[in-house]
Amino acid sequence: MGTSRNVERRTILKAAGATAATLGLAATTGCGGSSEAGDGTVTIRYAWWGGEPRTIAIKKTIALFEKKYPKIKIKPEFTDYEAFWEKFQTQASGGNPPDVFQNAVGFLRKYDKRGVLLDLKAQSDAGNLRLDNFRNGVLANGQVDGKQLGIPVGANTMALVIDLKAFKKAGVEAKFGWTWDEYFDALQTIQDKVKIAGDTGYFSIMYLYDLYLRQNGKAFFTDSGLGFTEDDLTQWWEDGYKRVKSGLVADPKKIEQVKPKSGLSAGLAASEFTWDNFSIRYEGEGESDYGLAPIPTTDGKDTGQYLGSLMLSGFSGTKHPKEVAQFIDFMVHDPEVGEIMGYDRGILATTEQYDAFKPTDENNKGIAAYEEEVAKAGVLGKITPHPSGADVVEAAFLRIGGEVAQGKTKPADAAKALFSEAKAAFAG
Amino acid sequence: MTLVKEAPARPAGKRSAAPVAGRRGRRRENLAGYLFMSPWIAGFLLLTAGPMIASLYYAFTSYNLFTPPKWVGLDNFTTMFQDPRWQKSVEVTLKYVVVATPLKLLLALGVALLLAQKRRGQGLYRAAFYMPSLIGASVSVGFVWRALFSDDAVVDRTQKIFGLDVGGWIGNPDYVLYALVALSIWQFGAPMVIFLAGLKQVPQELYEAAEMDGAGPFRRFWNITLPMISPVLFFNVLLESIHAFQVFGSAYVVSDTRCGPADATLVYTCYLYQKGFKEAQMGFASAMAWTLVVAVALVTAVLFWSQKKWVHYEEAAK
Repeated sequence: MGTSRNVERRTILKAAGATAATLGLAATTGCGGSSEAGDGTVTIRYAWWGGEPRTIAIKKTIALFEKKYPKIKIKPEFTDYEAFWEKFQTQASGGNPPDVFQNAVGFLRKYDKRGVLLDLKAQSDAGNLRLDNFRNGVLANGQVDGKQLGIPVGANTMALVIDLKAFKKAGVEAKFGWTWDEYFDALQTIQDKVKIAGDTGYFSIMYLYDLYLRQNGKAFFTDSGLGFTEDDLTQWWEDGYKRVKSGLVADPKKIEQVKPKSGLSAGLAASEFTWDNFSIRYEGEGESDYGLAPIPTTDGKDTGQYLGSLMLSGFSGTKHPKEVAQFIDFMVHDPEVGEIMGYDRGILATTEQYDAFKPTDENNKGIAAYEEEVAKAGVLGKITPHPSGADVVEAAFLRIGGEVAQGKTKPADAAKALFSEAKAAFAG
Repeated sequence: MTLVKEAPARPAGKRSAAPVAGRRGRRRENLAGYLFMSPWIAGFLLLTAGPMIASLYYAFTSYNLFTPPKWVGLDNFTTMFQDPRWQKSVEVTLKYVVVATPLKLLLALGVALLLAQKRRGQGLYRAAFYMPSLIGASVSVGFVWRALFSDDAVVDRTQKIFGLDVGGWIGNPDYVLYALVALSIWQFGAPMVIFLAGLKQVPQELYEAAEMDGAGPFRRFWNITLPMISPVLFFNVLLESIHAFQVFGSAYVVSDTRCGPADATLVYTCYLYQKGFKEAQMGFASAMAWTLVVAVALVTAVLFWSQKKWVHYEEAAK
């Protein structure tokens, strides 16, 4: 023990070293975000949500970009939809969101209000990003109060996906301009002849209710709130619940349990309302053949449809706005990118990419034909930018609609609950 | 006690010869100790104590993560108590605690009684029963549970054999909570091990004496085993109910991240999570968190108070 003092000094030094190392480590992890290497190479972070096929395709497009722009490196981040927005919210509030990210109309005002989104107009003026050649006016989807906050990568619209075999067996035909009454009659025929429910649960899909409201001169959202009344919604949910009880709409208990599979591909029902580019999943999941059918109407003409879209947005605080703009430009205009992505995120938004990709499989051909038909019918309306909090309202609509379907909440109480939750969401 | 006195504090050396140097040495020793602990202390202050104090402050503010928190006094608490979903989450959580905790402890005690007896392969049995406790909290088990209790899955088919056709539990708001209860009970290993340790402590003479007096197995259990292990029982009740109040992972995974259907598995922490991370109402979420802390503290206090009536500590141990 004679050397105890030395030992102690050594232990102290070691402990001090360990502490310093820990603190140093903490310090280095503290600074995230984009970086610039000594040789002028810039790294930007790119985040998106989606399944595996999308991720594989996007990684190919990144490789292509890095080859053409050797001074810019892309760091990919991806998750599923739910996790994406939870993560994004935390990152953004900490001032560390990705430089470029996939975005949708429901989030534009929300994150614009919080100062997170880069106005890409300035980058376009500087010549780093082209805002021309967008099809069917879809570029407007990314505009809020005169700012260009998102650049569409694809366009999609709501559709009715139907089980072709079931419809054929029942002898019913889905034709353009059919009315809601005709649609529900068709469901009845399917139930009588094929012995399955006609629909998977249309009344808790916010985007479908939006179409119904548009057919009746209203809309789900105004710029700052809800565009319908409690009575409107009570009526919508009362009708819906009646159809669950009568078996026209599939048993919500069963629909719940086949998730993440859809009730349509699980064979629980013969049709389902969804975005047209989602229809690709059904062929893979289910055993029947699936096709796209027109949205039922109120007046035999107007479907209330519009082109929605996924877009790319930039972070307002990015250190490399020029590179962000160049990257987005490449991703939405480069023909090769269009060929790789196909209609995964909707019909390609720019003419360069649209012309470059010629669908060969039935699914993608079907989507293209469907959208062409819709565009030709001249029914496409304008989309209103959703107010801040729209994402929370959409989740509430789905949840409360589910409670109605399960018979746990009366439609009138449910409508009241939605309005009260929406009020809180818009205020937040 | 005498042992401690006899043992020399340190081997004799310079230290004992020079008291001043000894004090300095001790101080240096303390310093080294603190330095070694400093990563932990820093972690505790930065990652536990700091956030707790911050959340206490946020509980009285309106805070959406982006704009600076705005002081609103008790608003979060008044909104919370009036919020029907918050009330629902309290109801769901209490139901879960009241049903899951006793059932889990009952099973743990039952199996511990069986495993306390000497038999071949004893170690294997103990390990097998303890195993679920190790993996039970994982997300993958949540998925397995979802698969087991779904429509037309194992549980549903087995039920049908007995003529109970209720469909799967997962999609049914009336049953899904019990799927979570079952998951909790399945992880009875940890309290079982503690019960086993308790059972080993019961002196065999008591049983021998009771047997001589003609006491049957049930009487021996009721009058000897139960009182003798009551401190262990108390410990388990306390720990398991605190755990049950904090249930989150299983509810989140089994109900596909939505804590439903129809809010049937909206346990307290699940709603807290939704408020904080989905709706970005951090002030409200913090208020909820502190309300939970107070509620759990109250339950603990009541349990401690009640132990006087039913927990027996050996006189000798006092």
